[in-house]
Amino acid sequence: MKFSSLNECTLPISDEDIIQAMKQIPGYLDITPSDFMEVYLVAFDHAMSRLKTAITADQIMKTNVITVGENASLIEVVKKMADNNISGLPVVRNDQTVTGIISEKDFLKRMNDDHAPSFMRVVLQCLETTGCIAADFKKLVATDIMSSPCITILPQTPLIEIAGLMDQKAINRVPVIDDKLKLVGIIARSDIVQTMC
Amino acid sequence: MSFFSKMKGGGQSPPAVGFSEIAWSWVGAFLGITPVAFLNYNLFSGDDLVYIIGSFGASAVLIYGAVRSPLAQPRNLVGGHIVSAIIGVIAYKLFCPFPWFASAVAVATAIAVMHVTKTLHPPGGATALIAVIGSEKIHDLGFLYVVIPVSTGVIIMLVVALIVNNIAASRKYPEFWL
Repeated sequence: MKFSSLNECTLPISDEDIIQAMKQIPGYLDITPSDFMEVYLVAFDHAMSRLKTAITADQIMKTNVITVGENASLIEVVKKMADNNISGLPVVRNDQTVTGIISEKDFLKRMNDDHAPSFMRVVLQCLETTGCIAADFKKLVATDIMSSPCITILPQTPLIEIAGLMDQKAINRVPVIDDKLKLVGIIARSDIVQTMC
Repeated sequence: MSFFSKMKGGGQSPPAVGFSEIAWSWVGAFLGITPVAFLNYNLFSGDDLVYIIGSFGASAVLIYGAVRSPLAQPRNLVGGHIVSAIIGVIAYKLFCPFPWFASAVAVATAIAVMHVTKTLHPPGGATALIAVIGSEKIHDLGFLYVVIPVSTGVIIMLVVALIVNNIAASRKYPEFWL
């Protein structure tokens, strides 16, 4: 489901509902059910567009971002991800500008040649060959494996745009940078789910 | 939507109101029309003035029968009648040799001006029309028509509406003043 189609999928109100409501409200309402429906639909659109732009990145982002430096060894990267129970983190330069992002997907990509890397592909490869296919990770550093350049957003980016971006680019997290390109936060898919509910 | 398919309607008609709504509408209209009619037939029946006109019956439908309607609010009730009365008198004075034209101009202009002034009140159209098609007694009033019977009657009916509609637990009047 796309966010843009939210209007249609959250419109469970029927003519029968309106008639029931009109019966419940005491007094004669000087409108027809279709009048109400029209007002409701337009008002709903207004509310949706207000909500879509009302919530911006800086309101939902996590500001204590776990990052790694460009020259961090992959062991360090993996340890950080495992210890913090996260599936991805941004790679930053010394001045806190974002140079790339590393996610589980980047590891999977590295571990097999398939165009659509998945955990099961890696398991398959493990079973078919001998030796650890993660062995060469020991020699690598963050910049060797990261996705770069990575997609970033500004603090004032509205929620609807962030959701659309994640959907379109098939990414699970997006770093938030300020106008000096410095990292100020990160938004994961789960942050958006929490905001919507 | 094409011209003819628009005529099919297709929407649903609103539900009927309950018994208490009907009862309060009856009581309100009875108490609202009583003083105006009494004024006309009993108190001042001797003078040359008229105190009641047909459009008050239409106003009663709105202010006692459809209390929440935007058309029934004080701004619309008072404003709509007064604006329309003035337009009706002017239309008669300007075009009385052509009553058909004076009638049409009076009603059409009344609707337009009520829209402009946000005082649309359907009985206003009748008030404007009566200024043209009314009796000689009405014509002789000239602009006094705006004060008596129109303003006096409307204000009496408004006061009754404010009292009766707010006694009823399920009602509240007005929704807004201006």
